[in-house]
Amino acid sequence: MIPLEWMAPLMFSGLIAFMLIGYPVAFSLAAIGLFFGFISIELGFFEPVFMSNLPLRVFGILSNELLLAIPFFTFMGAVLERCGLAEDLLEGTGQLFGSVPGGLAYAVIVVGAILGAITGTVAASVIAMGVISLPIMMRYGYDMKTATGVIAASGTITQLIPPSLVLVVLADQIGRSVGDMYAGAFGPSIVQTLLFALYIFVLSLFRPQWVPPLPIEARTLRGWPLIRRVLWGMVPSVVLIFLVLGTIFLGLATPTEAGAMGAVGAVVLAVLRDAAFSRFGKWCAGIGFAALIILLVPAFALWKDEWFSPGLVQSAQAFVDQVRGELLGVFYVGLVVILLEAARITRLRGLIRQGFESTMRITAMVIFILIGSTVFSLVFQGVDGGKWIEGLLSGLPGGQTGFLIFVALFVFFLAFFLDFFEIAFIIVPLLAPVAQKLGIDLVWFGVLLCVMLQTSFMHPPFGFALFYLRGIAPREVKSRDIYLGALPWVGLQIIMAAIVVFWPALVTGFISKAETQDPSTVEIILEAPDNSQSPPAEGEDKKDEGQGNAASAADDPTAEIERQLKSGR
Amino acid sequence: MDVLLAFSRLIDAINERLGRLANWMVLAACLLSAGNAFSRYGYSLSSNAWLEIQWYLFAGMVMLGSAWTLNRNEHVRVDIIYGRLSTRGQVWVDIAGGLLFLLPAMLVMSWTSWTIFHESWRINEMSQSAGGLIRWPVKLLLPLGFGLVALQGLSEVIKRVAYLRGLINLDLHYEKPLQ
Repeated sequence: MIPLEWMAPLMFSGLIAFMLIGYPVAFSLAAIGLFFGFISIELGFFEPVFMSNLPLRVFGILSNELLLAIPFFTFMGAVLERCGLAEDLLEGTGQLFGSVPGGLAYAVIVVGAILGAITGTVAASVIAMGVISLPIMMRYGYDMKTATGVIAASGTITQLIPPSLVLVVLADQIGRSVGDMYAGAFGPSIVQTLLFALYIFVLSLFRPQWVPPLPIEARTLRGWPLIRRVLWGMVPSVVLIFLVLGTIFLGLATPTEAGAMGAVGAVVLAVLRDAAFSRFGKWCAGIGFAALIILLVPAFALWKDEWFSPGLVQSAQAFVDQVRGELLGVFYVGLVVILLEAARITRLRGLIRQGFESTMRITAMVIFILIGSTVFSLVFQGVDGGKWIEGLLSGLPGGQTGFLIFVALFVFFLAFFLDFFEIAFIIVPLLAPVAQKLGIDLVWFGVLLCVMLQTSFMHPPFGFALFYLRGIAPREVKSRDIYLGALPWVGLQIIMAAIVVFWPALVTGFISKAETQDPSTVEIILEAPDNSQSPPAEGEDKKDEGQGNAASAADDPTAEIERQLKSGR
Repeated sequence: MDVLLAFSRLIDAINERLGRLANWMVLAACLLSAGNAFSRYGYSLSSNAWLEIQWYLFAGMVMLGSAWTLNRNEHVRVDIIYGRLSTRGQVWVDIAGGLLFLLPAMLVMSWTSWTIFHESWRINEMSQSAGGLIRWPVKLLLPLGFGLVALQGLSEVIKRVAYLRGLINLDLHYEKPLQ
């Protein structure tokens, strides 16, 4: 006979043992959960009915609108990483910054941040930058360790910078809205980018021979062609970033919708950049975008109405009311033509197909881990695992800060052998309630976790960013250089974690700011000609988000049953 | 063994078809959701049915695609030990895990989720939102999906046993999914 107090520790050690064997995590988790569930029923720790919550929980996962953002963002990244945008960005910015010491390194950092905001996979960023920038850096005498380090580290920025998948998954797990999570990660991701750039700047002062400027003969582009090259990479990226992040921050779209629009935007971008894009398509696209711009200019006047004279605002309003539907119609037709082009051009068809195929497999894999961990944590909570963890952690010295430092270190070490999915789905539900009890803002907690998970990509010898870089680096780059090169950047990321721990305002400050931002003024742009129809747009918006962020809302009745069952035992 | 291998090929073929269907569901969900957003913000046109189809498709891509993902060996593992095992060692881990973890777990999940489908079917459950969809098709996906994964797990075990006996060649390459 096993006493109840032993169940949780037994379950936890069983989890570690069985995951280490190497069978796919999703099924190991489910099996351990069910196994201990049946033991608990046999031993009378809870009623068999308790287990009947399982299918309801699984259904709650599948009907969670927020998680739908996972395939959308994955698909968006999968299309963008194959369409050559990274190459244009890197070459343009490399030439732009080339003349200053450390210029190529700055270019890598900036492009890493931009790619992070639009693609969201570390692998894609590291591979693109490693293939393009590493040979150039080597040719012009960069220190090998610095070159590999800056590329691997800049690739990992994508984890922290919205709209990263990690943030979506964490938002779901801690029960806050994705918008809050993105807003919270915004400050730290900027600070991190600056921190990286600062490190290069310091290097260029004290070790200028490690980060030499490009010699004059290597700067082939200059003047107008250079500007055009840079703009050609930057403008579409910035538009996409706004389409996705801007609409979420302004409250215009739910993260799911933003993800879908971003994915469509990525396809549009791929078409616009393709050489086989037909003349007819170009005309249609041009007319469509022109219509959108004609509409956006007066809409801007309505949004920032305090900047303009009342008469102007009024006529803008009248103009928007009158032609809004027609202009948008023209724009939408343009979009449809572009999408049809994507289906026509063979190369793009293949690219999109590869994109959604890999997206399906990643989605199925991630959601199955989530299902497995739901089984596990239902039973784990049933045998009072939550209390056990809380008892272990409540004795930590230092209150909030002590707890956060502990969590940071814990995740740092876990990340040596677990992926972020496993950490987010298994560890976070265990730790988040304790954090909440200590009065820690969960977004702050989530962002800290995200920073720590990011370091897991960097630490030698298992770090993924290093692994990808090793895969594509030329033969003369030694593994030793890659590993040693990563160390200062791991240090920078740990400094970053410390900044987040000791300066919570960096995270929370942006959240309140995003919330106080003008939902009412924004509404004006969106107002349909007949006012009676428009309020639902905003209301529904909120509702969707609510549905997503309180993942538990769906299974509230379930939770109620669980409580009753447990109290009655 | 021949009969078993034929059975395994049949399962693989079924799950490949369903996997392809799940692939297209990604594209469909994406276009639908974007179209929905555009029509909502452009013309204030929206209906709960269109919103619900999105997550029906999401449930479809997960539950119908998971078995194929298993076939492609793309369910993530902790490979700190697994990666160092010999091929035979890896095959043994897969056989043991398939029989002890995957099959029982997926069969139990399939069986327990059958009840919520059956209930939904019996009362002809509709969505609570106005203009929403009928619920049983999406609830059917649960027992169906778990059942398909169980079958695929069986197929993988059969293939690995055959491999150990030298009857077939098998691509056992495992690579962590890109992140």
